[in-house]
Amino acid sequence: MIALYRPGTSPLHRLPAGPKLIALMLLAIAITVFASNAWYIAGASALVVAGYFAAGFGPLEILRQLWTLRWIVAVTLITQVIFLPLPVAATNTGRVVTVVMLATLVTLTTRTSALLDAVERGLGPLRRIGVDPARVGLVMAMTITVVPVIAGYAASIRDAQRARGAKPRLRILVMPLLVMSLKHADELGDALVARGAE
Amino acid sequence: MTTPLPSIPASPDGTPPSRELAFEGVGVDLAGVTVLRDVTVTLPQRRIAVIGSNGSGKSTFARLLGGLVAPSRGRVAVHGHDLVAERKQVLRMVGSVFSNPDAQIIMPTVAEDVAFSLRRRGLTREEVARRVTATLERYGLAERADAPAHSLSGGQKQLLALSAVLITEPALIVADEPTALLDGRNSRLISALLLDEIPQQLVLVTHDLELAARCDVAVRFEDGRLFEVDDPAPVIARYRRDLG
Amino acid sequence: MKFDVRDLARIAVFAAIIAVLGIPGAIPIFGNAVPITAQTLGIMLAGAVLGAWRGAAAVVVFLLLVLVGLPLLSGGHGGAGVFVGPSAGYLFGWILGAFVTGAIVHAGHRRPTWWRTALGCVVGGILVIYAVGVPVQAFVTHLPLGATALSSTVFLPGDLIKAVVATLITMGLWRAYPRAFGDQVRVTPAAKVDATVR
Ligand SMILES: Nc1ncnc2c1ncn2[C@@H]1O[C@H](COP(=O)(O)OP(=O)(O)OP(=O)(O)O)[C@@H](O)[C@H]1O
Ligand SMILES: [Mg+2]
Repeated sequence: MIALYRPGTSPLHRLPAGPKLIALMLLAIAITVFASNAWYIAGASALVVAGYFAAGFGPLEILRQLWTLRWIVAVTLITQVIFLPLPVAATNTGRVVTVVMLATLVTLTTRTSALLDAVERGLGPLRRIGVDPARVGLVMAMTITVVPVIAGYAASIRDAQRARGAKPRLRILVMPLLVMSLKHADELGDALVARGAE
Repeated sequence: MTTPLPSIPASPDGTPPSRELAFEGVGVDLAGVTVLRDVTVTLPQRRIAVIGSNGSGKSTFARLLGGLVAPSRGRVAVHGHDLVAERKQVLRMVGSVFSNPDAQIIMPTVAEDVAFSLRRRGLTREEVARRVTATLERYGLAERADAPAHSLSGGQKQLLALSAVLITEPALIVADEPTALLDGRNSRLISALLLDEIPQQLVLVTHDLELAARCDVAVRFEDGRLFEVDDPAPVIARYRRDLG
Repeated sequence: MKFDVRDLARIAVFAAIIAVLGIPGAIPIFGNAVPITAQTLGIMLAGAVLGAWRGAAAVVVFLLLVLVGLPLLSGGHGGAGVFVGPSAGYLFGWILGAFVTGAIVHAGHRRPTWWRTALGCVVGGILVIYAVGVPVQAFVTHLPLGATALSSTVFLPGDLIKAVVATLITMGLWRAYPRAFGDQVRVTPAAKVDATVR
């Protein structure tokens, strides 16, 4: 599993993960609520582009990230032009792209492990309602461990059904996948108990 | 054909701690069905082989010792500690290894997975790191320390599972068919480690009668009952005969 | 709601199943022609199989991993961007959706029935998710609520198919591997005697 993080040493890379995430959320909401005309959006996107440059990313990286947003752009633009005049539709789509690109910048400049720690710390206040941040962290780590195993099950089920000449169909693929995966979960539960994680 | 059980040894101050597994009238019911009954035996040997047909109760016996199943009747003592009354302590004394190497990996990387066993033991970060490095070196996994655990080969994964158990220095290792899914070479590697290299007491559930023959005692289960306990040679010979 | 370690293993494994359902080509749906995936199928199944609390927990863990930058959403998307984009509300809706699906399917700790499972998947897996997703989408894209709701109906046929498939799989799993449903559903009265230490 390749994380989306891109290593670097820029000031943006060095900002602590927690505050960076909070700042992002506030900025994203501010842009979403207040940037209602083309000028504001142009200003905001200029800032975001400046942010990419400051983080050491060139125009190529910006284009690559924009390309990953093509479906969002297409769906947003199409639904908008059906209901709204074209300039308004374009403005709204531009704002959505700006906000998402800003958030992507945070992801690109923050290590997964730093964000994991930030999430665990951020969950601290939820202790009062019975959430144990360490357990959440444990389950997240276990999920990362288990994704390749489950993906392997999916591949082997698909291959087995192809070998029998069956056309792979959603239901007949997912059903055995669930059985294999949940058996795996039970064995993992045994391993957890045996290794003293109670 | 069971060995009579003296009273479960206590370990009062002064006397050396016992290294005995003691079962007294033990039964286990699962989903309303009795899968293990009337198990009464004392096992002081270091290497204990557990054999018997499919479904005879071997895994249930192993899971009992590993703390994964509670006895429905009777008493079990591991080195003098009662399995139910001193559950926490017994769990720390027993390390379990299973057959499926994949299903024993909990954390993403090799080093993290081994370190997981030392959680909540009140060790400093440095101490954990030191022990992890030493353990990985000892079992030849040091080079793969930061590799994703699932990128290891089946044999290496089983070695990892074993390392994750041995790092806690348990007093008893319970291995339920640890070589069942391994090729010949890896199977020999793991069994040599368990039988000849570690100092711990070992309960080895296996269908590999060659392995059972290398143990100090063999326990045979049939139909959820303890069928026979004796030197491995006669137990295995009779089992072979019964298999036909 | 207190989870034991065996629950944690199931939650982790189900979060991984949701991730694997989003891997392109892992599970073909509509021949991969449309950027629709089986991930909402995973949401319905999480609730239907694990029940309300554990199902919702699996979705939360999955989304946290997406937030920290793992590309686990269908088509390899991930990172903070998806939580500020037009589909953010649907992602948040997944949590409540899995919960409601589980609450309906497992209502009264009874064994799942055809009609309750279908109802749970449609209400939790579709209605609830849209109810959270549509307003957030309208907020993000500045498209009027009614128009947003209308445009979102394009995805309705696909979601209805997924609800049918989820129902079939859940009932099949109940016959093939009832243990998957955990101890919150009484398999048989005798199962209560299960001496497995929990
Ligand atoms: N969770 C469970 N609920 C009900 N019955 C069970 C459960 N686990 C095992 N059993 C039953 O208990 C009996 C003994 O099973 P066990 O796994 O101990 O056998 P085994 O000797 O290890 O067999 P094998 O050689 O096939 O591994 C079997 O009949 C099995 O079907
Ligand atoms: Mg067995």
